[in-house]
Amino acid sequence: MSSEAHLRVLREGEDKARPFTIAIVANPVLEVARDSGHFVTDPLAHDESAFDAATAYIEKALFGRLYDQAEVFLGTPGIADKVRVVTLRIAKPATDPENALVAQDDVSRLLVARRSAFIPFLERFGQRADIVYAISKSETHRRSSAWPASDDDDGPGERFDLDGTTLHHRHESLVPGTIALHAEACSLTALHEFGHALSSFSNGLITDLYLDGPAAMNNRHGRPIPSAFAAYEGTTFATDRIRDGIGYPVSWRSYHSQLHSPGYPAIMDNYWLAHDGIPERCQHDRITRRFLLDRVRAKLAR
Amino acid sequence: MEPLRPEEKARILSENPEASAAELDEYERLLAERFARDPALAATADSRRREDRLAELYLKLFPEEHDAVGHALPRTW
Repeated sequence: MSSEAHLRVLREGEDKARPFTIAIVANPVLEVARDSGHFVTDPLAHDESAFDAATAYIEKALFGRLYDQAEVFLGTPGIADKVRVVTLRIAKPATDPENALVAQDDVSRLLVARRSAFIPFLERFGQRADIVYAISKSETHRRSSAWPASDDDDGPGERFDLDGTTLHHRHESLVPGTIALHAEACSLTALHEFGHALSSFSNGLITDLYLDGPAAMNNRHGRPIPSAFAAYEGTTFATDRIRDGIGYPVSWRSYHSQLHSPGYPAIMDNYWLAHDGIPERCQHDRITRRFLLDRVRAKLAR
Repeated sequence: MEPLRPEEKARILSENPEASAAELDEYERLLAERFARDPALAATADSRRREDRLAELYLKLFPEEHDAVGHALPRTW
């Protein structure tokens, strides 16, 4: 490992060759803007305390330990102790493309993960991960985003049935789920983006529910809204016919799974719309939580 | 992607009266669609149209964020 790299293990995880691993990396270099070929040092490279604060926040959000947080998620007994979490920071990064894990979008204020850069970057430091957060302190782009994983569909996995179609919770990915998170992200943002990154393009995509988005594992299209959302692994999940009281706009085709906590938006919906102003009380909807935790368990079992 | 706070959406529309709520919704939807497709796949006519439309809506929704040649200006949100 390079002498300028600082690796820290926050959680050891299961003692095995390939524990389910989450890496949190201080993004060394920003591409400004996306696909421009122009690179600058990320402001986070000079702010170790901001990176430390972001890693502490992410760990809390993932393991259900934010103040007032209702969604336990990775803090679920039987899962929590098996998840490995590492952090990586480079002290004096060269402004080279291979150090740029994040780009500033050219048509929005989104930070966008440069997903093809992640595996070679981590390999330089002897690391490998299933989900990677790249933290940026961009001064202009503060909105976080995530790419789902590209599953290794030629490799092993656990079969599951979704509405009569067989898919797999794959053990490995060709490209891990990647998250571009701003250093000042807060509340459920880290957990929301993790929901996207833990899903995959080929075996169940988790999409945003606060817009009339694409059909996905957690989003269906159709009117009138049916009572049944989907049949997953022998369980029929009901539909949230009122979208928690937020309501589905009349122009929408989308509808969602039943909530665990009616009265609060789903985590993949707009958690900022929590009626009492406490978004941390939002939880995943029923099928999303079941699906994502099944996916984690499959990787834990490899 | 991180959802916009209600006050952010209200500010965008109040600062740009020529932009509509429907256009902001379309903008958000197109951004989300980008993340629903593996970027390693070759660009299609649909994906190129989507990015072109995003660029149009970005200029319309956030005109104050660009200089005369369309470069983004610093902003705090």
